[in-house]
Amino acid sequence: MADSALNAERPISTVHRQAGEVINRVILWAVFLTLSVICVYPMIWLFLNAFKSTNELFSASWALPETWRWENFTTAWGYGISRYLLNSVIVTVATVTTVLTLSSMAAYALVVMSFPAKAAIYMSILGGMILPPEVSLFPLFKVLAATDLYNTYFALILPNVAFHLPFTTFLIRSYMVGIPPDLREAALVEGASEGLVWRDIYMPLCRPILASAGLIAAMGVWNEFIFALTFVESDSVKTVTIGVMSFAVALRADYGIMMAGLALSILPILATFLILQRQFIGGLTQGAVK
Amino acid sequence: MTRLLAATALGLIASSAFAQDQTTISFLHKYPEPESMAFFEAAVEAYEEQNPDIDIVMEAVADDPYKDKIRVLMASDQVPDIYFSWSGEFGRKFAREGRTYDLTDALAGAEWEGRFSEAALDPLSFEGRQFGVPTNVNAKYMVYSTEIFDEYGLEEPATFAEFLTLLQTLAEEGVTPIAYGNQAPWAATHYIGDLFAKYVPNDVRIADYQLLADPDDLYTHPGYVEALQVYLDLGDAGFFNRGANALPHAAARGSFLSGRAAMMYLELVEFYMIPGSDLEESGWGFFAIPPVDGAEGSQTLLTGAPEGFLLSADTEVAEEALDFLNFLTSPEMAAEYVRTTGMTSAVIGSVTSETASEEVIAGLQRLEEADGMALWLDTDMDTQSANVILAAGQGLLSGDDTPEAVMERVRTTALDVQGGR
Amino acid sequence: MARAVADLLVLARVPFYTKGSTMTRPSANRTHRASLQGWLWVAPTLAFLVIFVYGPALANVRYSLFSFSAMSTSKTFVGLANYARLMADPIFLQGLVNNALYALISVFFQVGVALTLAAVLEARIFPRFAANTFRSALFLPSILPVVVVGLIWQLLLAPAMGLVDQALWELGLGDWSRAWLGDPATALFTIIMVSQWQWTGYIMALFMVAIRAIPRDLYEAMELEGASGPRIFWNLTVPGARETILIVTIITILGSLKVFDIVWVMTAGGPNHSSEVLGTLMYRAAFRDDVIGYSSAIATVIFFIALTIGVVQIKLQKDR
Repeated sequence: MADSALNAERPISTVHRQAGEVINRVILWAVFLTLSVICVYPMIWLFLNAFKSTNELFSASWALPETWRWENFTTAWGYGISRYLLNSVIVTVATVTTVLTLSSMAAYALVVMSFPAKAAIYMSILGGMILPPEVSLFPLFKVLAATDLYNTYFALILPNVAFHLPFTTFLIRSYMVGIPPDLREAALVEGASEGLVWRDIYMPLCRPILASAGLIAAMGVWNEFIFALTFVESDSVKTVTIGVMSFAVALRADYGIMMAGLALSILPILATFLILQRQFIGGLTQGAVK
Repeated sequence: MTRLLAATALGLIASSAFAQDQTTISFLHKYPEPESMAFFEAAVEAYEEQNPDIDIVMEAVADDPYKDKIRVLMASDQVPDIYFSWSGEFGRKFAREGRTYDLTDALAGAEWEGRFSEAALDPLSFEGRQFGVPTNVNAKYMVYSTEIFDEYGLEEPATFAEFLTLLQTLAEEGVTPIAYGNQAPWAATHYIGDLFAKYVPNDVRIADYQLLADPDDLYTHPGYVEALQVYLDLGDAGFFNRGANALPHAAARGSFLSGRAAMMYLELVEFYMIPGSDLEESGWGFFAIPPVDGAEGSQTLLTGAPEGFLLSADTEVAEEALDFLNFLTSPEMAAEYVRTTGMTSAVIGSVTSETASEEVIAGLQRLEEADGMALWLDTDMDTQSANVILAAGQGLLSGDDTPEAVMERVRTTALDVQGGR
Repeated sequence: MARAVADLLVLARVPFYTKGSTMTRPSANRTHRASLQGWLWVAPTLAFLVIFVYGPALANVRYSLFSFSAMSTSKTFVGLANYARLMADPIFLQGLVNNALYALISVFFQVGVALTLAAVLEARIFPRFAANTFRSALFLPSILPVVVVGLIWQLLLAPAMGLVDQALWELGLGDWSRAWLGDPATALFTIIMVSQWQWTGYIMALFMVAIRAIPRDLYEAMELEGASGPRIFWNLTVPGARETILIVTIITILGSLKVFDIVWVMTAGGPNHSSEVLGTLMYRAAFRDDVIGYSSAIATVIFFIALTIGVVQIKLQKDR
């Protein structure tokens, strides 16, 4: 709307040019509407077909279900989706809490303290970002097997923590750099310990970046695949990404129920996203650019 | 909130560490389908009730992932006390590596007497020692819709040539002759394995599979190439549905059961899914892939295999685990198993008119009459050579591979593995 | 694509080549008494990295010089034999090419297309509400687990029962119908496109943040001069978002190198190895074929390619 006001003021704008702009605009609308449909429709398709019988699916998968089979969802739920979701919550919460604690400690030291080999240490923390987890897969697996951690929550939590520490440390450190050092110095003069300064001054001030870094790490852990595929075994510890996969294989014969299971598995994250779109997108893109 | 969840997490982690004074038996199998799980859960519960000091921790993983999973467990020394295995090389490998508990003496005991047939026991033995307790016997048959066969005046073929004519007729009539889902390419190995058995003399084939053949002769019999050519021709002639490589086996089965194809190559243990489907209404029958005139292999072998449960070599509860397996394969439990899951138990006398459909009984009977079994190819060859065949099952279908090139690769791979052994 | 969101954001302003790093800030030196205490604060993080990241990566390099099975306890030293075998393995070379194709197409979409889309959304062409809705819609796929994305698209693309196939037949385009994931000619490209579907919107949102950081008056000035949309894009948006473009490019390439889950879920490298990437080859070698040394050699190759890309990134950013 602001643009059209601008246009009217433009001396050089001609009828011809305006017509061209209208066409451009129509094209752009069409492009973005199409893209939006392409991005969103598969979800709608999934949820619609989750209500169908296998036979209905084969005949016309875009149609509305003849009868809404809510029982598909109850059946799917009965296959342990709830357990997988709970496991994912446990692993994600434990990982993110640990990552935020350790990396904010490291970031704090890197920003306010001076100690030998600081630059080298920071570099070696960041270097962890480059290494793809695949490279460590088998040796890591050996370590977990040797320490009896294989097939426990720790088999997922510990490696996930390790692979998320570098980036989180980086994010928090960049933020802490902006906190005036006087605050800490004043507190130290008053006799506070470093631990107190970290906990009572820096952590509260860092809340926005902690939220953002936490969200980024949480999404990463929640969707993590290769560790979950390799390091756990039992249904009692399987996270939802792998749970969904075994679920899909076992239920290949009944597509309606399988789709209901898939739908249930993404429902929590989808709902959160729809309610908190702005915070979500903001949080996940934060830090990538100034 | 966060703190609460973290506390819950710690609680859960801790609770798993509190093993009581019970003996725990870990048990891993590959029957996660709802019917089977219901049976196993009930069996475990019943056994625990009889033996309150025993705690059985059961897990189930689907067919294909199971192959990775058990190897991972072996590598991490976390082998369950009781675990599933196919017969053939799949199980032999564990026996060869010393990862299985020797059951020879135990199974010779009085309570096990006469429970299993020799045909079920033998493929679960290695160098004369029994390493597994057979649970199921299984065989692969071409299942067809009598309605479609009648419509075009077709009959069960007696020779492979007749089979091809029949397929041709169906294709010309615009009917999909065979429903085929080869996304996970083990499906292809069932065709290829059956054809190998028909085209390659038995002793040559077994020596090759077990890598006991002379390196100069390994996988050089021309029958292999001929067999692959037959498989390739089946695809080229349009006898399979479109997009077989993109379709999971179960999806193809779904489409066959709802009447979208005339035939499908199915396992005996899949027969139980037919009741209640459109196929049941239109009537159905089955036959083994018929003999090939003039081919050098054995024409009367059936493709299929027993499968069973093994005990870990490291198990500390061998006695208890054996007792549980004894319970699981007791005549009563076996009958219950057949009745509730539709599986064909290896326990003699468990598949009767009271527990199974007449087709299942007929299928089992034909299996007993067969001269022997050609085991599932992908579990009978060594893993790496089998992987070549697995990929080729897709490549031949899509026209990206030739039978000669495939066998050349199989030979190279097999020589490599043989050399390393 | 096998990458955590965090990997996507591997960054940029790493201190040893950043202006204004606090590393040498005098205020940090004021508290000398803290000299060794700092180590305690970074120790847990370092310990995690050593135990779970660096240690295993080094162990992997060592493993690649042996031939062994995960089940047996003995290893045979074979020197570089695993690497020799790699170089002679057509499937491995196919995997390398596939990773490269993956990277190429991903860069086109996730840098080229995503930046263009972001520029349009930030150009105030659409009403604010519409622009926000478009952004959310395009962003949506990126919040889903890759496994679920793979499974949904597997269903959408399935012959006969899938939406894509059914739609083609309904539209009279039955000839175009094919087993997208079952045909060696299309399997890899189909997977790559699904990956673009998932990530382009996310990168677009990143670019939108970058574009917003470009001073608004520069845009207004160019608009007043009557500059066309494309010209504004090339002369202002692209240079303005240069740093983000560079980072996103590097990350996309790294992500394409690491790709595993989407391929594993959708085709597991098939049909007939046509969609195999280094990740699937490595995984299968270790956990199915049980040739650990060979698998470690593949992992080492991934490691060195990643390292090279990392070094190139640092160099590029230093030079600017």
